[in-house]
Amino acid sequence: MGVAMVTKKSSSRRSFLSKIWITLGLAALLQVLAGTVFFLVTGRKRQDRPTAQLIQIGVIADFPSGSVTLIAKGHFYLARLDDGGFLAISRKCTHLGCAVPWVAERKQFECPCHASLFDMTGNVIQAPAPRALDLYPVSFERDTILVDISNPIKRSVFSVEQVVFAREAA
Amino acid sequence: MRFTLTWGLGGMAALLIMQQLLTGILLGFFYKPLPVQAYESVQHIQSTIFLGQLIRNLHHWSGHVLVVVVFLHLLRVFLSGAFYAPRRANWLVGLGLAVLVLMANFSGYLLPWDQLSYWAITIATAMLSYIPFIGISLQELVRGGEEVGASTLQLFYSIHTTLIPLLLFVLMGYHFWFVRKAGGVLVPANNENAEMKKQETVSVMPELLVREVSFAAVITCALLLFSMAVDAPLGDMANPGFTPPNVKAPWYFLGAQELLLHVIPLIAVFFLPLSIGLFLICLPLVGNKTGKTHTLIKSLFIGGAIFMLALTIIGIWFRGAGMEWVWPW
Repeated sequence: MGVAMVTKKSSSRRSFLSKIWITLGLAALLQVLAGTVFFLVTGRKRQDRPTAQLIQIGVIADFPSGSVTLIAKGHFYLARLDDGGFLAISRKCTHLGCAVPWVAERKQFECPCHASLFDMTGNVIQAPAPRALDLYPVSFERDTILVDISNPIKRSVFSVEQVVFAREAA
Repeated sequence: MRFTLTWGLGGMAALLIMQQLLTGILLGFFYKPLPVQAYESVQHIQSTIFLGQLIRNLHHWSGHVLVVVVFLHLLRVFLSGAFYAPRRANWLVGLGLAVLVLMANFSGYLLPWDQLSYWAITIATAMLSYIPFIGISLQELVRGGEEVGASTLQLFYSIHTTLIPLLLFVLMGYHFWFVRKAGGVLVPANNENAEMKKQETVSVMPELLVREVSFAAVITCALLLFSMAVDAPLGDMANPGFTPPNVKAPWYFLGAQELLLHVIPLIAVFFLPLSIGLFLICLPLVGNKTGKTHTLIKSLFIGGAIFMLALTIIGIWFRGAGMEWVWPW
């Protein structure tokens, strides 16, 4: 009986110890995993993401009404609609991210990948693109056009409120 | 054991992986994983290094052949019903290996940094953004940023040259060990004709070994000859501002890309891959005792395989610029 008790006691102590080992092992594993995740996440983070990254495009007079101009350094098009309003339209197709060229003869954006078509305002004329091309905020400083390229604005369709007009006083 | 024509696919895959390791190490000595420099280093490998073009060709073509071989191996294992117990766990390991091989090919696709690789990876990673809720962040994670760029290249390079080879070798060891543990390469036969089977069998050593080695020699020669004749493509350097016409995702994703033209994105890039994955994972669990595959499951599998194959073939050969329908002749 005494022997049995000792065996039982030692086996339960052993199982207790092994439980501790397993717990410690799991904790160590979690630490390694969490460390790896944080390592990767902080490594990916950009150094400083400015709230607005304004780039100067040019003066208003350079862009006649009814024109679409590629601004290569910002990866977007500056469209001046027939009524004189401005739109900064992203070059990236909303379907699968191809760069969309502006075809002046037909006055539309034609995606080379899956033949999506967009009109001058970035609206979808022909699928498979699911929504209108993204926009960038346009602002003015006297008669210079500024575009904030830090954050593209997603939209489903074009609406007149998106168009930005230069103040007549300028 | 019995020989049939479909044997040797597993050994062939292993051979190709070894070959990829060798050519990959050689290429790695001269490759630079940075935009512009990547493209120039590939040009350098091809034009100035002795046998450089051949080694790159071998790596390129073997990589594609490997994907095909892995699909065929999976098909063969399915058709011979070799995924039931005791091979249940090995089926899962095999699926993991198949995913790794796909990932290896996909991550290698970007490395030459030409227009084809840049835009194919752009399109393929853009498909991720259609996954509900996590799609956008998943895409950003894979690209290492918002656009395909320097961080994508570095990420893909380290995955391609470190993570995947490592995992591949660990899982391969497991895969082979499981084959031994499950009693060799022979598929469990039904009891009534076990007697008959026994008469047709020979021992694995050295019969299979001799066969595999000679087969390996033939495959290597064929790949070598092909790589001597056909150069791996290297187009213009990647230009994020210009998408060339007729740009497509890597061919093994063309089925999904083709489907994307016909059904809503959620089905093409989310529900379909998810259901294919779940179907393959659950396959060994719904088996019966006789070791025979249920006819419904079998027809589902074959039907699905033919469907995806047809979509892929359409995607590769029947789609021209702007995804217009073209005839390949």
